[in-house]
Amino acid sequence: MSLLTRIFKKSPNPLPPPPPPREEAPKARPTAKTAGQHKPEQLGGQALSGVRQIIAVASGKGGVGKSTSAVNLAYCLIALGYKVGLLDADIYGPSLAIMTGVGNPEEMQGALVVPPIHQGIKMISVAMFASASSAQILRGPMAGNMIKQFLTNVAWGELDYLLIDYPPGTGDIQLTISQTASLAGAIMITSPQEIALADVRKAIAMFGTLKVPVLGIIETMSYFICDSCDKKHFIFTQGGGAKLAAEFALPLLGQIPLAAEITASSDEGKPLSLHRTSSPAAQAYRAAAEQCLSELGRLSQQNTAALGSFTLHWKQ
Amino acid sequence: MNYPAASAIKEIWQKDPRTLAATWLDNRQAQWDVVALRRQCPCAECVDETSGARKLVPEQIAESVRPLVIRSVGRYAMAIEFSDGHRTGIYTYDLLRKLSQQ
Ligand SMILES: Nc1ncnc2c1ncn2[C@@H]1O[C@H](COP(=O)(O)OP(=O)(O)OP(=O)(O)O)[C@@H](O)[C@H]1O
Ligand SMILES: [Mg+2]
Ligand SMILES: [Zn+2]
Repeated sequence: MSLLTRIFKKSPNPLPPPPPPREEAPKARPTAKTAGQHKPEQLGGQALSGVRQIIAVASGKGGVGKSTSAVNLAYCLIALGYKVGLLDADIYGPSLAIMTGVGNPEEMQGALVVPPIHQGIKMISVAMFASASSAQILRGPMAGNMIKQFLTNVAWGELDYLLIDYPPGTGDIQLTISQTASLAGAIMITSPQEIALADVRKAIAMFGTLKVPVLGIIETMSYFICDSCDKKHFIFTQGGGAKLAAEFALPLLGQIPLAAEITASSDEGKPLSLHRTSSPAAQAYRAAAEQCLSELGRLSQQNTAALGSFTLHWKQ
Repeated sequence: MNYPAASAIKEIWQKDPRTLAATWLDNRQAQWDVVALRRQCPCAECVDETSGARKLVPEQIAESVRPLVIRSVGRYAMAIEFSDGHRTGIYTYDLLRKLSQQ
């Protein structure tokens, strides 16, 4: 019995079991040696076949605003007219339902779970399947398996972009997600402080090993705009995002102000990018979303210029 | 799927009897001496897997060694079959980028 089913059993709406797992080819574990020598297999053909591009919102560091950014970017993309899905992959700190007020899944489509839709965005979160306390006890491979099912057993349907809100860290779970989905790119979230940067570097290295292009960096809590003077006050050490961007030759996709309204709106389940689109923070997210898209576009173009397979016979 | 510019190739060709040349996607040019490539083969026969120490003795590779055929591997590497019968080396673009003389 699959993990998702087991968890479903405990939830108020039991659902039929997902399909038996596909025969998997011997797994390419992303050790330094094998990574990059095997293209990660695209699993969940049926569930993900209508998804045009899957984008990771990750950091390596906890509490820097990944979930807040993923949610706000998703609303920006919807506002720009795209079809969007959002997967909250954080087993240990589910937050999507709180941040948006999205409901629980209630239907199956064949063997796939139909994700609830909130303001046009298809959303799936761990919190929808298990109480927070039972999610907490999932460890290692179990957690990885569960995330795999969120990708492969959900009726994502036709989407332009599926955003994955990554859990903090660079361990097995993050690797599992990155290998299950064929990621078009990763957006790195950081706060400006030096202490965040070390973990973000690790995450950039992880995506590098897996040949997932990093689209760029979004710095959150960059500055504070006070009510009395409209100036930007830099509270934390300045320039962490810019420093990383320079170090890895990546674009700084955006700088999001530190704003009490971000936290308040998240706690109320009313994301800023949906309810207060004219606020400076929502505007900053909007600009960042546009930067992400142009970066994705640029990468796709480059991709077409790249040589596919070749054979070169040496003239002796 | 997209790949970073630094690890994708736009063009690759034989420049002269012992020089391989390529243009990366970011338009930078690269050249490799094929004998040096053979001596820097990253395969498990040539490099100790655990210590990373080189097992191959560069002097034992003849100056006359040449590739026979070079094939792409996925989007991230190329495999080179050499005239001395050695064909297990998979050169990732990351490695080639490091080994190249601009
Ligand atoms: N720009 C901002 N201004 C003010 N508060 C913010 C901002 N961005 C995020 N926060 C707040 O910081 C806290 C952490 O944010 P969030 O949950 O998005 O981080 P995370 O990286 O997803 O954390 P975790 O690693 O636990 O998943 C939340 O309380 C959130 O409301
Ligand atoms: Mg989070
Ligand atoms: Zn070798």
